[in-house]
Amino acid sequence: MANEQQTSQGVQTTGHVWDGDLQEFNNPLPVWWTYGFYATIVFALVYWFYYPSWPVGSGFLKGMGSETYVNAQGEEESWHWNTRAKLLRETQEAAAQQKPWFDKIASLPYEQVTKDAELSSFVQSAGRALFSDNCAGCHQTGGAGKIGHYPNLADDNWIYGGSFDKIHETIAQGRHGYMPPYAEALDAAQVDALAHYVLSLGGEQADAAKAAQGKDLFHSHAAACYYCHGNDAKGRMDIGSANLTDKVWLWADVPGAADTAGKVAAVRKVIAGGLDSGVMPAWEGRLSEEQIRVLTLYVHELGGGK
Amino acid sequence: MAASQTQVTEHYNYDIIKKFSVMAIVWAVVGMFVGVWIASELAWPFLNFDSPYISFGRFRPVHTGAVIFGFGGSALFATSYYVVQRTCQTRLWAPGLATFTFWGWQAVIVLAALSYVMGYSQGREYAEMEWPIDLLILFVWVAYLAVFIGTLMQRKQPHIYVANWFYLSFILATALLHTFNNLAVPVGLFTLKSYSLFSGPQDAMTQWWYGHNAVGFFLTAAFLGMMYYFVPKQAGRPVYSYRLSIVHFWALSFMYMWVGTHHLHWTALPDWASTLGATFSIMLLLPSWGGMINGIMTLSGAWDKLRTDPIMRFMIVALSFYGMSTFEGPLMSLKDVNALSHYTDWTVGHVHSGALGWVAMIAFGSLYHMIPRLWKTEMYSVKLINAHFWLATIGVLLYITAMWISGISQGLMWRAFDDFGNLQYSFVESVAAMHPFYVMRAIGGMFYLTGMVLMAYNVYMTIRQGVAAEAAGTRAATAAA
Repeated sequence: MANEQQTSQGVQTTGHVWDGDLQEFNNPLPVWWTYGFYATIVFALVYWFYYPSWPVGSGFLKGMGSETYVNAQGEEESWHWNTRAKLLRETQEAAAQQKPWFDKIASLPYEQVTKDAELSSFVQSAGRALFSDNCAGCHQTGGAGKIGHYPNLADDNWIYGGSFDKIHETIAQGRHGYMPPYAEALDAAQVDALAHYVLSLGGEQADAAKAAQGKDLFHSHAAACYYCHGNDAKGRMDIGSANLTDKVWLWADVPGAADTAGKVAAVRKVIAGGLDSGVMPAWEGRLSEEQIRVLTLYVHELGGGK
Repeated sequence: MAASQTQVTEHYNYDIIKKFSVMAIVWAVVGMFVGVWIASELAWPFLNFDSPYISFGRFRPVHTGAVIFGFGGSALFATSYYVVQRTCQTRLWAPGLATFTFWGWQAVIVLAALSYVMGYSQGREYAEMEWPIDLLILFVWVAYLAVFIGTLMQRKQPHIYVANWFYLSFILATALLHTFNNLAVPVGLFTLKSYSLFSGPQDAMTQWWYGHNAVGFFLTAAFLGMMYYFVPKQAGRPVYSYRLSIVHFWALSFMYMWVGTHHLHWTALPDWASTLGATFSIMLLLPSWGGMINGIMTLSGAWDKLRTDPIMRFMIVALSFYGMSTFEGPLMSLKDVNALSHYTDWTVGHVHSGALGWVAMIAFGSLYHMIPRLWKTEMYSVKLINAHFWLATIGVLLYITAMWISGISQGLMWRAFDDFGNLQYSFVESVAAMHPFYVMRAIGGMFYLTGMVLMAYNVYMTIRQGVAAEAAGTRAATAAA
């Protein structure tokens, strides 16, 4: 501090004065500032030496850095440092690191993978990452699902089947759930009766008379619900029709309704409007067979698969 | 001496400066309020109230527009008109044109904010205004340039004071940047929508050439101009080094123009362009620090003032934050550091250490110095200035600490792998982990906004007291006559 004051005192101003009292000392550039500035220039030179830098003619200085990766012909190839080559190398290195596990999972039957502790750990790790990136957008973190939109994968209730093969089929081929709308085929009282019946099947409070009327409709040719949901209303996994006798609700938001009237309205909405939005995309081609197998194992584990 | 100075003061055109000063404070309150609101939306999303008009996407440019162009811009117009008159010892050239810059600029801010809320945006950061507003900006800016140069040319001083170099470079560079970044073809004469003249990486590069130089010339060079007048004035000491001011002025002006590509590391931008952006950012470090050294060293020998003068405190803290963020910036522009920091809250924290710490603090200090002189009175309350200082300082520190932690955590979570080489976290897990820091940031913003409201009140009372004194003076003069 004392030194700085002395410097200022020993130095003359430029002699100019503005606005009454504005003046400037003519102190020299601080030495550390000057050398610091030179140091950043040296740093820049080193950077230019290593990375692609100045454009020259129709090209540019390539720099001394390089990246080695495997090209499309399977041969090792080196290229001057660039982000594409670096990405190729890093993804290839990562894939090579994981290849032994994926290969093993591809070569073994599902049941055997689940019995191998190390492979199971790998499935948990890779499955979690794959699920978070590809599935959680709809099925939510941990596969909790969302009533009215996406099925819960964390319970042991399966729409199209919970065996390894069925889960694989669902992921690879995708699914398209459909139920026709009944608003035109049936009148409001009939839809209401069916809603009461469906609620009674699911163990909810319902008007007994209406439920009985709904039961008749359910098995009649007029509504023909039993075609898809079966005589016992337990659904058919081969076509993905819902089991109406369990307490699991996917489309009608019965658990979210405050009272019986709300629950009836929720079920009525599904019967009257039908469903055409239960679309799950096919992942074959977007994910590799090994990745689909890992996801199959992961989802199987999530939901207590069969 | 005192008498002659008063006479000179009468000479200057203060009316336009008063208008801009008041609007600077109005826009600061509005812009910072919107900033606190959107920070709170990130912490507590129900604050969207499911309305598109106040959603984050539309409110964010309202915030940046109001604070950068409304507050920052009005403060720059005010101080540059003040500084150029006083250091050239002359009145503003073409006062009618200067008045047009006031109404034109305020119209730009209002129209821009309204158009964002309605959903109109060019989608270019800090240049979201659609083409008709861009044209208005162009007219205002050319008028500004004419007034400033015209005033310089009729100066009664042989030399042009350093603050004016910085203001002039800011006006020239902004004209250039604004024009080229907004070259676009309107879809129709009666539509707001337009398409950029550039495409792909060229478009991105033009945008960030503009974007970073908006920081470099609008928020740095211009505020250095402010610093070069108000710091020595407030300290009552000569500027530390004339030589340093020349060297760092030219180095800064030259280097800044190259660095925009550091916003586009690891993208489709050619690698050589990204390298040049990184290296010029590194070489910009010392030229930036030149301004900090000149400011802080000007104060040496007057350190005791820090104990008694809260305006001086604003200035010294501003210079410290300036030094800190101009060190952080080059660091973040290196390819490997950027791989961690890009797309994280670290960037947001960096911008705000510059904006809240440097730009706003130096503007507060300058306005507190200038406003009592404009209305020929004293500041209503020095205690309130002091309270403002502490609220602002605590606010910035909370803000940038929260963003450092959340930004670096985000960067590390996104690249964390487990033993099997799989990603350890999903994106949404990183979002959930940010929540406490978003709350902390919003609280920091509330501190800062509270300080700003105190300033608005203090300035309002100061102006009232100035106007009352003037009226009393006029009455006394009339009675005496």
